[in-house]
Amino acid sequence: MAKNFTDKSRRNDRLAEVLIRIGGLFVIVSVVWILVMISRVALPLFYPPSSKIAATVKVPTAILSGKVLAVGSEEYQQGAFVLDDSGTFHFLNMADGSLSASIKTPMVPVGADHVVSAEYIGKSAYNLLWNNGAITSVTVGLTAAKAREGTVTLTHDVTAKDDIAFAAAGGIVQSFARPIEDRGAVRIDRLSGDHLRVTHQLVETDLLGTEKRTTTSVDLTDPLPGRLSAVTVDSKGHYLYAGTDTGWLLRWDISEPGTITLLESTPASENHKAITSLALVLGDVSVAVGDTGGALTTWFPVKVAGSGEDRRLTRIHTLRSNVAATAFIIASPRDKTLYSGDTGTIHVDHMTSERNLLTIKPLAPVTHAALSPKGNSLATLDRTGTLTIRKMDIPHPEISFGTLFGKVWYEGYDKPEYSWQSSASNDDFEPKMSLVPLVFGTIKATLFAMLFAVPLALLAALYTSQFMSPKLKGRVKPVVEIMAAIPSVVIGFLAGLWLAPLIDKSVLTVFLSIVIVPLMLLLTIFFWKRIKGASPLQRVSRGHEFIAMIPVVILGIYLAFLLSGIAEVHLFAGDFKQWLFSTLGIRYDQRNSIIIAIALGFAVIPIIFTIAEDAISNVPRNLTAASLALGASRWQTAWRVVLPSALPGVFSAVMIGFGRAIGETMIVLMATGNTPILSWSLFNGLRSLSANIAVEIPEAPLNSSLYRVLFLSAVLLFIFTFIINTGAEALRQRFRKKYGRY
Amino acid sequence: MKLFWKTGEPYVLATGAALAIILVMSLTLIGTVMTNGLGYFWPRELVQFELKDGSKALGQITQQEKNPLSGEQRLQLKVGNRDVFGQDFRWIDEKEITARSIPADAVLLERREHGNYFGFLQGVTAEGITLTAGTPYEKLIQARTLVSGKMNDTRKIRKQMSDLNYTAENLRLKLQKLEYDGTEKNAAAIAELTAVREKKMAEFTRLNEQMTATLAEIGRITAQMTDVAGGSKDISLTEIVALQRPNSMSFFAKCAAYLERVRELLLDDPRESNTEGGLFPAIFGTVMMVLLMSVFSLPFGVIAAIYLREYARDGLMTRMVRIAVNNLAGVPSIVYGVFGLGFFVYGIGGTVDTLFFPERLPTPTFGTGGILWSSLTLALLTVPVVIVATEESLASIPKGIREGSLALGATKFQTLTKILLPMATPGIMTGLILSMARAAGEVAPLMIVGVVKLAPTLPFDTNFPFFHMDRKFMHLGFHIYDVGFQSPNVEAAKPMVYVTTMLLLAIVVIASSTAIYLRNRMRSKYTTSTF
Repeated sequence: MAKNFTDKSRRNDRLAEVLIRIGGLFVIVSVVWILVMISRVALPLFYPPSSKIAATVKVPTAILSGKVLAVGSEEYQQGAFVLDDSGTFHFLNMADGSLSASIKTPMVPVGADHVVSAEYIGKSAYNLLWNNGAITSVTVGLTAAKAREGTVTLTHDVTAKDDIAFAAAGGIVQSFARPIEDRGAVRIDRLSGDHLRVTHQLVETDLLGTEKRTTTSVDLTDPLPGRLSAVTVDSKGHYLYAGTDTGWLLRWDISEPGTITLLESTPASENHKAITSLALVLGDVSVAVGDTGGALTTWFPVKVAGSGEDRRLTRIHTLRSNVAATAFIIASPRDKTLYSGDTGTIHVDHMTSERNLLTIKPLAPVTHAALSPKGNSLATLDRTGTLTIRKMDIPHPEISFGTLFGKVWYEGYDKPEYSWQSSASNDDFEPKMSLVPLVFGTIKATLFAMLFAVPLALLAALYTSQFMSPKLKGRVKPVVEIMAAIPSVVIGFLAGLWLAPLIDKSVLTVFLSIVIVPLMLLLTIFFWKRIKGASPLQRVSRGHEFIAMIPVVILGIYLAFLLSGIAEVHLFAGDFKQWLFSTLGIRYDQRNSIIIAIALGFAVIPIIFTIAEDAISNVPRNLTAASLALGASRWQTAWRVVLPSALPGVFSAVMIGFGRAIGETMIVLMATGNTPILSWSLFNGLRSLSANIAVEIPEAPLNSSLYRVLFLSAVLLFIFTFIINTGAEALRQRFRKKYGRY
Repeated sequence: MKLFWKTGEPYVLATGAALAIILVMSLTLIGTVMTNGLGYFWPRELVQFELKDGSKALGQITQQEKNPLSGEQRLQLKVGNRDVFGQDFRWIDEKEITARSIPADAVLLERREHGNYFGFLQGVTAEGITLTAGTPYEKLIQARTLVSGKMNDTRKIRKQMSDLNYTAENLRLKLQKLEYDGTEKNAAAIAELTAVREKKMAEFTRLNEQMTATLAEIGRITAQMTDVAGGSKDISLTEIVALQRPNSMSFFAKCAAYLERVRELLLDDPRESNTEGGLFPAIFGTVMMVLLMSVFSLPFGVIAAIYLREYARDGLMTRMVRIAVNNLAGVPSIVYGVFGLGFFVYGIGGTVDTLFFPERLPTPTFGTGGILWSSLTLALLTVPVVIVATEESLASIPKGIREGSLALGATKFQTLTKILLPMATPGIMTGLILSMARAAGEVAPLMIVGVVKLAPTLPFDTNFPFFHMDRKFMHLGFHIYDVGFQSPNVEAAKPMVYVTTMLLLAIVVIASSTAIYLRNRMRSKYTTSTF
């Protein structure tokens, strides 16, 4: 029985030891685990994109006997189609290469015989230019559905699009046609002899419901700086772009029927290489330019110094060059990705990040290429008649080290900038995800808060541990510790809804307080000796001085408030904020960095105070005793003996406070306007990394670029604070070791 | 004097001043919250102003200040009647006022919608009941007592309806699962369940009609009110939550009204997108989340502390654990939120959903924020608090006690469970309370992993299995942020935010004071001074 009992005890003991050790290890595991888990979400941002051939099919020779005008595919890489010059769409099942259906375009204009060219205008729609110059438009529907068993069924149709229909015309080399919403359509023809003709065909419906059709045509016959080599039109039919064989890039405004205005002409390259292809990037702001040298650049109008409000096309991004002349440029329908090809290769680049995402080398020179409406499959037809469909896996093309931390020239901006604006209401928006304004905001908030908190906390800690009467200390310390427990949401709320409006009413009080409160203190100190003799203050003995200081501080702030009213009237024409704006050009936000400094400072004061006070109190009493015994005053002892010894601990307190301020979320979220701007001004708000996460993550779709960038900022925060906390802990351990022997 | 400077006395005063500033700031914070929070429920009198332009205004004075534009004194009046005047507050310049009075018969109606109504009661239209009381005000009170039974009925019906709703929803989910597993195979079961569900739905519809009828019946009784501008309005009894005539209330009546409002605050549901009514779901959510969190963080924290203090030898490993503990304490709370979202919600939650609830996808069950994930996230965040407190209390137990126990033949584990842990209990309690206080006030991570502004159901109710870990919940701290910063009418919501803040602050301050008191008592119990 006894043996049994001891055995059992021993076994329990060993078991417990193992379990407890595991429990201890679990702390390390969880820290590592946190880092690993959040990094795992952020890392795919930097994974290289990939493309793989989903299917290749030899196009039946019967189809190839005619002239192929276009190819296309759908998002699951199961089906594809080829358009020939009879206006027939041949749908192919990519799984087995069989011809699934051939559908002729439903609307053939009178007198037309065959299709000369097809222009893809987005959203599965093609404009067909017929041999007599007529234009019709069709929409191609191709979808693949996968049943649970894995069989794929293709559905396809070709429907006429009636918003674009132009009658026959002669002498046409190339044509573009665009619908004008609810008003008709516009066609732009390139005629032989380098002429351009813009024809607006507008429909007006009057109150009685009768339609009035007007056709306005205008020819461009101005001399051009070279022969036209590439032409394109934006999707709304407002701007016409052309490139010449002498390397000039031209832009016309064609939005007004009957007029065609040359906005500008500019050389696209230094050595005047012929422009071979033009395409508009999604959103119609930027135009991509390819030339004979294989260069690919994007341009958009920018306010140029000295030209007033005029905006001139400017080269913004230079993307990776092709080797030979750029034969075609295809803009992705989903983002700012550009596919450009010469005869041998296809480059995939992203405009904003200037990243070369992929280089695809087809086996044979490509004659036709097209993206699926979702932009994730690329169909190419090569000279051997092989149709290839590639699945494009490019999850985060807009993210690069450059876009996260560098200046980027975004569409519509006048110069490269650091900017954070993750989303907008429209789909063709260029996301701006620079972390620089956020890191800046974090540093600004932390710095201002520390400037406010560190002196106060350290001085107060020194006083509490060295000069305060022990009895009082036993009361004051818990008060400060309870302060540390005040939830940050409470501080943030008061800062945002109470302090901010209060300071808004009298900003000057803050500045005057900084001067007047110390002045008042100085005065008090000056008269201390004298007033100490006065009867009610006699009791304010050593160790209780701070109580006497409380009314002085309150009085000082009140005095500052009174003075600020006077100063505002006499020095700042009655309104300091107005004066600030009109004289110095500084905008005043109600929730600004002053509020942050006070609120965030208030939040970290108890942390710094408690740790610093512990460190100072832990300096062995015999050092103090020795110093005092040698005749040093209490201040001399504290300043020359105690503080230097406690310095590592004090420093570690400051670091821990710093770490806390960096990551504080609610206060920054509530007490600033959350504006991601780069400005050191005290009167502006800011947006910190942590507040940004809280603001944006509820709206970030799972695994989107934004979601991962937010995780990346969490990783940054983790690493910042890890370094600071580990440093502080190392310091503290050294400090402990140093005095451990006492 | 020279000596005074030389000995550095002024610097001592300067350091004292720093402490004074800190204390002044803390007192200001507490004072602001208290004055704004405590005063909100006190029935304030309705003041009637006659203005120079001949118009009148009736309301409660909320603020007085100097007009920043004209420099004149002005006062802010809460005029209520949002549906009539369009806004709750207006500023009145003092020089515009020709007369002010406190009409004894001014009535304050707290309404279910559109905020308070300030005005005068003209009469009561009674249908289906006979009112015997004299004045209209007494009649209205009598009418309210007469229909209170019916009001209670509607409340009961509403509860039944929500239970039915829950059952029907469960049935729907079961049906969904059966259909997912194979419609043909489970045809019989599906038919049966569908029949049951339809019966429940029919019952639900019946109850709903019953409730609508009762409410319509009560609704026919209206209070005929006129506002100060002369407009009249009939307000039905169903709309009225509470009524009072603050101008003719005695001190004790006011106290009673105050206590009633406090009761409402603690036990009722919020109204008007959280800006009025009670805080019960938020208090409940906070408490339940904190308790759930302690279940996870306490054992983990205590074991880690025991490891550090009793089992680990001083070495690299201990140093690493200590660094880890410090980092757990120092990593920004929002990072925990992000981790919780990535790991608990989408990671574990997503996996649970695909394994156990594939039929419900893409609607997530556990793959979205909820009280379980919030508790786990906060447990991780507060573990260091428990560790530090437990370790400190273990460290303060004199070595002799351990040695004594071991010398008597007890194993290390026996010493731990029989001697050390009981002695360290106050310290562990300190850690627990501190961690609870921290969790109660933490908002940033919760915003990501499961808190909502308005939860339709509590995470705990009388429906099996009672604890609904997948549900989202409300939280006092988030309530402050949401009502104070996200509500459309911040000015009208402010008092509510102050009250919530005061409540949260009180909870946190009381909890931490208790913890600190416990800790200090334990410290002094074991500390033996050497100097």
